[in-house]
Amino acid sequence: MSAFPLHAAFEKDFLVQLIVVDVNDSMDQVAEKVAYHCVNRRVKPHDGIMRVRRHQGTELLPRNMTIAESGLKPTEVIDVVYE
Amino acid sequence: MAIHSRKDWYELTRTTNWTPSYVTEEELFPEQMSGHMGIPLENWEGYDEPYKTSYPEYVNIQREKDAGAYSVKAALERARIYENSDPGWISILKAHYGAIAVGEYAAVTGEGRMARFSKAPGNRNMAAFGMMDELRHGQIQLFFPHEYCKKDRQFDWAWRAYHSNEWAAIAARHFFDDIITGRDAISVAIMLTFSFETGFTNMQFLGLAADAADAGDYTFANLISSIQTDESRHAQQGGPALKILIENGKKEEAQKKVDMAIWRAWRLFAVLTGPIMDYYTPLESRHQSFKEFMYEWIVGQFERSLIDLGLDKPWYWDLFLKDIDELHHSYHMGVWYWRATAWWNPAAGVTPEERDWLEEKYPGWNKRWGQCWDVITENVINDNMELVSPETLPTVCNMSQIPLVGIPGADWDVKVFSLEHNGRLYHFGSEVDRWVFQQDPVQYQNHMNFVDRFLAGEIQPMNLEGALKYMGFQSVEEMGDDAHHFAWAEKCKPTIKKSA
Repeated sequence: MSAFPLHAAFEKDFLVQLIVVDVNDSMDQVAEKVAYHCVNRRVKPHDGIMRVRRHQGTELLPRNMTIAESGLKPTEVIDVVYE
Repeated sequence: MAIHSRKDWYELTRTTNWTPSYVTEEELFPEQMSGHMGIPLENWEGYDEPYKTSYPEYVNIQREKDAGAYSVKAALERARIYENSDPGWISILKAHYGAIAVGEYAAVTGEGRMARFSKAPGNRNMAAFGMMDELRHGQIQLFFPHEYCKKDRQFDWAWRAYHSNEWAAIAARHFFDDIITGRDAISVAIMLTFSFETGFTNMQFLGLAADAADAGDYTFANLISSIQTDESRHAQQGGPALKILIENGKKEEAQKKVDMAIWRAWRLFAVLTGPIMDYYTPLESRHQSFKEFMYEWIVGQFERSLIDLGLDKPWYWDLFLKDIDELHHSYHMGVWYWRATAWWNPAAGVTPEERDWLEEKYPGWNKRWGQCWDVITENVINDNMELVSPETLPTVCNMSQIPLVGIPGADWDVKVFSLEHNGRLYHFGSEVDRWVFQQDPVQYQNHMNFVDRFLAGEIQPMNLEGALKYMGFQSVEEMGDDAHHFAWAEKCKPTIKKSA
């Protein structure tokens, strides 16, 4: 267990937030942790799979890839978007 | 013997340059404090201040201004503004006094720097009066809110804000330290007086004065109009300084300082004045939308001033115009959602009538910000209050110190501009904020924004409670809450389907 800070933008939300995840979290878990601070707060729930990408990136990171495997740096910015 | 008129002696008496013999010119006016860019003393003597006054004239006029403002306050004390005004208006007073009063005192330092270190005698003379102006503004804007402290502890933040680590106070301090206390005399003339005061104090003091009068707060309207008469005078110090720089081949350097300061001022005013004008001011008292005011008083004015001086529009002008349509709506949502971190009570300003007004003034508002407010409103109506407060921190810009925002909803567009510098990762809310950093990294690189401090362990415990304590809030009553205690949501019930 090791805390890992990221900054995250969630599709259709208005801002970027500090989200602390774990280095062993998968991208699906990261997406859930980001969504907790956005969905039903300012963003309507939406059907579909939430995916993580580097900020403004074109490639979605594999759903089971962990933070440790991703090469993301602490405090890097990610986007969570619906597939 | 008759007293000569000012024009007969002014030029002579304020021509106070001399040839130093005990020290060198550079020792008398060190570049680091003066900012003369190597332009010799005699070239600065062409500085022609457009507003000329003498000390007796200044004192007489200021005495009359003070007497007017204080007597209006005394006469209207029975009007019970605090008790009778819309809570949104009271929030405006709190936000204004906290964000402005002690900052005015910092401006005394900037005027003092020009009064001592500018090579231009006219600048030194004007700045001596400017120092006294800013002292008056600091004092009067602390005295006026003081009477409310016994009724409402948030008014104590008129004095406390700048002495705290509250996020908006950090943002204001970062900006004013950058353009006032952390700059040389000529940079202050350009960045404070020309770039900030010429345009943006007009917005805060004239635009707000009109709204204050409409809201029935004649004391505040009179106070800030009185202040603006000083601002419009001492703001004229920057123009002649720019003229000297351009005449001496320093246009590029001058343009850069103007561009940096206009952008930084814009971002701060977007978070302070944007929500005030378009959300907090009661609908019936709104004089102009923030955007209309920006176009009439800022955009047009800067364009004319820059062209008259021989400068260019900043390279980011198109981005600036786009920002005027968008930025403050997201800033407002952030301030409202993280309202416990403010020393005032943000008014949501999103009843159906207010949303119609926003849609009219900002076409597309409903499909953008309106979508988020729909979710917030539903939560309030259904009493899901745990969902209308945050559980984490917003990411903060390493230049403006304001949260990183973009367009929500159907046109979702949130962009962060990052930079790795000396092994540290910085994040900026716009391309221009990042550009400002790159112009002078030494000035900015060591500053820790609120989130940097949180991640460095300076804020304990590492949660929202710890953050509020770090910001300096001494009690729950001081922390911001919805200005109308969510009464606005009642008006939304017919349009929002109750999901319970």
